Amino acid sequence: MSKSTSRSPFGWSNRGGNVTVIEAPVARSYRRRATIAFWVTLGVVGLLAATVASHYLHPILGALLGGVIGVAVGAVVFALIVAWPVLRVFWHWLTEIVLGLVAVYGWNALMQSTPLWGSLLIVALVVGVPAAIGPVRRRIVAWIWCLVVRHRLRMCFAAFIATNRSGSLPLILLARPTPAGERVWVWLRPGLSLRDLEQDGQVQKLAVACWANEVRVMRASRKYAALIRVDITRREPLAAKVLSPLPDYVPTDVPANAPTSPGMPPVGLDLPDVPDEPVTAPTDTPRPRKPRNPTTTTSPSDGFDPSDYA
Amino acid sequence: MDLTDTIELPTTSPDTVPVGAGLSIFDPVFLGIDEFGQPVYLPMIYRNILIGGEPGAGKSSLLNTIVGHAALCPDVRLCLLDGKQVELGLWEDACDVFVGPDLNHAIRTLRRAQTVMDNRYTFLKARRRRKIGPNDLFGQILVACDEIAYFSATAGDKKDQELFAALLRDIVARGRAVGIIVAAATQRPSSDIIPTSLRDIFAWRFAGRCTTDVSSDIVLGHGWAARGFSSNTIDPNNQGAGYLISEGGIPALVKAAYMTDADIIRVADYAAWTRRQSGLTTTAERHATTDIKAAA
Repeated sequence: MSKSTSRSPFGWSNRGGNVTVIEAPVARSYRRRATIAFWVTLGVVGLLAATVASHYLHPILGALLGGVIGVAVGAVVFALIVAWPVLRVFWHWLTEIVLGLVAVYGWNALMQSTPLWGSLLIVALVVGVPAAIGPVRRRIVAWIWCLVVRHRLRMCFAAFIATNRSGSLPLILLARPTPAGERVWVWLRPGLSLRDLEQDGQVQKLAVACWANEVRVMRASRKYAALIRVDITRREPLAAKVLSPLPDYVPTDVPANAPTSPGMPPVGLDLPDVPDEPVTAPTDTPRPRKPRNPTTTTSPSDGFDPSDYA
Repeated sequence: MDLTDTIELPTTSPDTVPVGAGLSIFDPVFLGIDEFGQPVYLPMIYRNILIGGEPGAGKSSLLNTIVGHAALCPDVRLCLLDGKQVELGLWEDACDVFVGPDLNHAIRTLRRAQTVMDNRYTFLKARRRRKIGPNDLFGQILVACDEIAYFSATAGDKKDQELFAALLRDIVARGRAVGIIVAAATQRPSSDIIPTSLRDIFAWRFAGRCTTDVSSDIVLGHGWAARGFSSNTIDPNNQGAGYLISEGGIPALVKAAYMTDADIIRVADYAAWTRRQSGLTTTAERHATTDIKAAA
């Protein structure tokens, strides 16, 4: 998203040309959208606010107030849309940002409220106990993978999954750990379909990008074609043996009076016991051959043979 | 569902009646788990299943699970056809007809099933009904066939093989509404083994590991390998894992449940015991089948 062209750490791409936080065409398109949104908001909100205000104030004052409110709301909408590419990045990394803040501020608060040994003990417990207990550790690692996978998928969608003209990417919804890996729900935007993801090599590229063994995409809803499910497989969860529950239906002390089929003497169980007999399969016996030209067989009787003329 | 602690079976007194396991073929069959660790249940009533996969892929294990469920259902009669004899042979005492490597016997059995089917349809028509339900006048029939290829491509002559395939196709095509369920397994159901007209009418498919994408597509249906569902990707050592097409229509990776031989024998003995007591399998019938086998 951000491409540094100068040493100055912050700034917009417009005048100084120091740093490009948002690439020029993207910024231009967002500014155009923001301008449109500003005027539409100004019109709608202004009109509504003016109508309501006219009930309480002088109509001219009401109209002026409506205009001011419209401009204010429109400016907020304009600013939101112009800054949206940056805000979106914050949104995408919200979980990580919140976790980081909790870690920093939590550590600070802990240090101030307890002596050093107490805080170290609490941190050791909070970190060590889940790390020591296998199922908890695996569950936490699975959640971390869910976070990672969402970023990887977003990267893939931006990099090589075909997007529509306005550049909107699929919405990445929930991610859930499964015994095999992760399952992510994705809402496709106009311009994309499941078929685009199923194209030759696309899921393999997704698998590579997600550091996974296999990726499968399928519809997640019978109602909406846009809602799809991405199954990311990292482990083989079916390696263990699955026992059938059927024996549980049967009491353990079944009486041993179950019938046994008539036994068979152990004869003919090895190659020397079976004699080498000629093959006389009934299918191989030559059938009486039907002549192709029935007239030729009947003809010799009356002394005329057409084969003589052949 | 666990009935082990509720049933108390007296082992000595002969005048008691054993209690059936309380299952019904209208209950979905527990098949195994899917790749997300969830149990997979397969409704078998009004359905048929085709099981494919290379040797050792776990086809017979899956077939045994289905037959085992049906054997514990007091309302299901079993018709087992097994060219290899040992895969379904453990159920011989619990089933009504057991067909070994004998194509004529297989054809006769399918003809019987066909006649039963026709009679049932006539009966339903007379009652102005379209299909059977649970607790109906007559029970269901499970026709389980391991190694169809033996009957349809190996044994006997061409005419008998075609007759067998035609009868089986008829039972698969028409049997569902009168409770005749077909579960068939073979290694590679290509058109030289099974007519495609028979292969394509199985609703449920299970593809154990296959050696090529094409083989997997033959079992699952054309085009699934291209969409990423190829049972060629399954680890050969992972027996019982395969792609299952059932409700939903999209292949799901599942691992079929497994019963040890001792478990199968125990379940089969119990099924045979309950069936004999409830008169489901007639001993005369079994004697007839053994006589036929002895004569053959």
